[in-house]
Amino acid sequence: MALLELKSEVTGSVWKIVTAAGQKLEPGETVMILESMKMEIPVIAEDGGKLVEIRVTEGTSVAEGQVLAVVQE
Amino acid sequence: MTEPVVNALPDVARESPWQDALDELAQRRSSAQALGGAAAVAKHRQQGRLTIRERIDGLVDPDSFQEVGRLTGQGRYEHGRLTSVTPAPYVMGLAQIDGRPVAVGGEDFTVRGGTSWSGDRKKGGQGGFVEDLAHNYRIPLVNLIDGAGGSVTSIQRRGHAVFPGVHGFERSVQLLGEVPVVCAVLGTAAGGPAGRAILAHWSVMVKGTSQVFAAGPPVVERSLGQKITKEELGGPELAVATAGTIDNVAASEQECFALIRRYLSYMPRNVWELPPLGGQGDPVDRCADELAGIVPENRRKPYDMRKVVRLIADTGSVFEIQPTFGKAVITALARMHGTVVGVVANNPMVYGGAMDVKAARKQTHFMELCDCFHIPLLFLVDVPGFMVGKDAEAAATLREGMRAVYVGLQATVPIFTVVVRKCYGMAGMGTTDKNGLDFKIAWPSAEWGSLPIEGGVAAAFRRDIEAAPDPKLREMQIEAELRAAASPFRTAEAFGVEEIIDPRETRPYLCRFIDAARGRLATSVGPKPKYGVRP
Repeated sequence: MALLELKSEVTGSVWKIVTAAGQKLEPGETVMILESMKMEIPVIAEDGGKLVEIRVTEGTSVAEGQVLAVVQE
Repeated sequence: MTEPVVNALPDVARESPWQDALDELAQRRSSAQALGGAAAVAKHRQQGRLTIRERIDGLVDPDSFQEVGRLTGQGRYEHGRLTSVTPAPYVMGLAQIDGRPVAVGGEDFTVRGGTSWSGDRKKGGQGGFVEDLAHNYRIPLVNLIDGAGGSVTSIQRRGHAVFPGVHGFERSVQLLGEVPVVCAVLGTAAGGPAGRAILAHWSVMVKGTSQVFAAGPPVVERSLGQKITKEELGGPELAVATAGTIDNVAASEQECFALIRRYLSYMPRNVWELPPLGGQGDPVDRCADELAGIVPENRRKPYDMRKVVRLIADTGSVFEIQPTFGKAVITALARMHGTVVGVVANNPMVYGGAMDVKAARKQTHFMELCDCFHIPLLFLVDVPGFMVGKDAEAAATLREGMRAVYVGLQATVPIFTVVVRKCYGMAGMGTTDKNGLDFKIAWPSAEWGSLPIEGGVAAAFRRDIEAAPDPKLREMQIEAELRAAASPFRTAEAFGVEEIIDPRETRPYLCRFIDAARGRLATSVGPKPKYGVRP
């Protein structure tokens, strides 16, 4: 079971976390929503899996490439 | 490996007075076939890498490779008779890909790690016969790079140090304005071979078995004291996704060859020709219903621009260039009713499609590529402007962004613009051809201006807002008034855009004009003159 790091593709802030650690994710499910350039950017678990860990909280500033969450595929 | 028919020795040779010479020819050919010897080849394969002969076979049409310079190498003699030959570490010649001629060559890593060899005439690598072949015959060049560049041991061999540029890049540079050049990095490339990889219209590397850098880990440690693995220093994670040094990545060498064939299928043989017309099976009037609702009404919500591209272009025709670098813009070769087009589409999922420094670099290169090979540009626009912020300014987004605008304005291929949502500022300006065919249509979701309304109201109406009893309410009122007046329909009334269309009509509308532009394209082939100084 590979661990996959979900990284931020943008610099911005965490607007809403819509999942909780430990939960099962469907393929394509949105884990959290970032805000950058006045847009709501969804962070998606392409292949689904189990959400092992969320490393940020709502309101946190994030940098491009920063690990936001870890998913077990 | 199948021997090409043209190289087979006819049976009559058995009776020839030249029998000894013909036997020697066979012996020399057999040495060439053996590359660096069984042990070196086995070691190379153990690392998951193919030999140069297997690579060429894997890339080109079956039995189409006609090697040139097979006898090159270092012969060893006893009493004047040949005992063995170490082949020159470069294999090249003429071949076909999809029935079209190409010049192809690559280093043979199994002979001295593919380092240079001092013959009368260079075979390839930097300049050499294979590049002359591409130039003189006006055919694409494919470089299969697997060499580590210069070695200080050559000083010992020659008795002097070679001045940089003696085996220069003059021909490699010239080719970039004449014929398609593809470079595949298939091993660890440093120095000259790494530089050669960059002098290409398109480059690709293989995950796990190839790295590319100006200098490898030993030099880095000696110069900077940094300990770093070659994968960290020049694997695809860095070279493709982070730096954009190499364009695309393949999962295996076989996939790499398939990607090269695919890329070349969009290219003309040279700049004096048009790209080949593809199949026209996908109906021009195919209207994808999904397009009608793909853009969310909420302006803060992004959508899948890749899907928009796929739904508009000929089915299965989209080939993305640099998919993992500068992701705020999507650049792809595709076909519209068989005609090759270059798609530049802003990606609202990354920085809302704002042009950052990487996206600007990517867009600049792609537009220049399309202009060079007479490929019309199709812009699918959703750009709020240049990326803002201290990081963006420090990275020279303004300069790189204006360079993209400059190169776009210099392009002479037809430019078709579809405004999907936002088209603002200088980045928006760079998506249209004001002085050429000037064709821009928009979806009803489109909005444009010198800057987005919500960003400009507070500054432009400061006094009005501050004087109001409820400033926040006043700001929202002004925003609403301006937004109503900024409706795309009002610009269409003024013929400021040529048409507002139902998103489902995008493909039929564009195909009509792209088909019609073929006549003009045919009259403007040839090398593109370069003038001026890029900002």
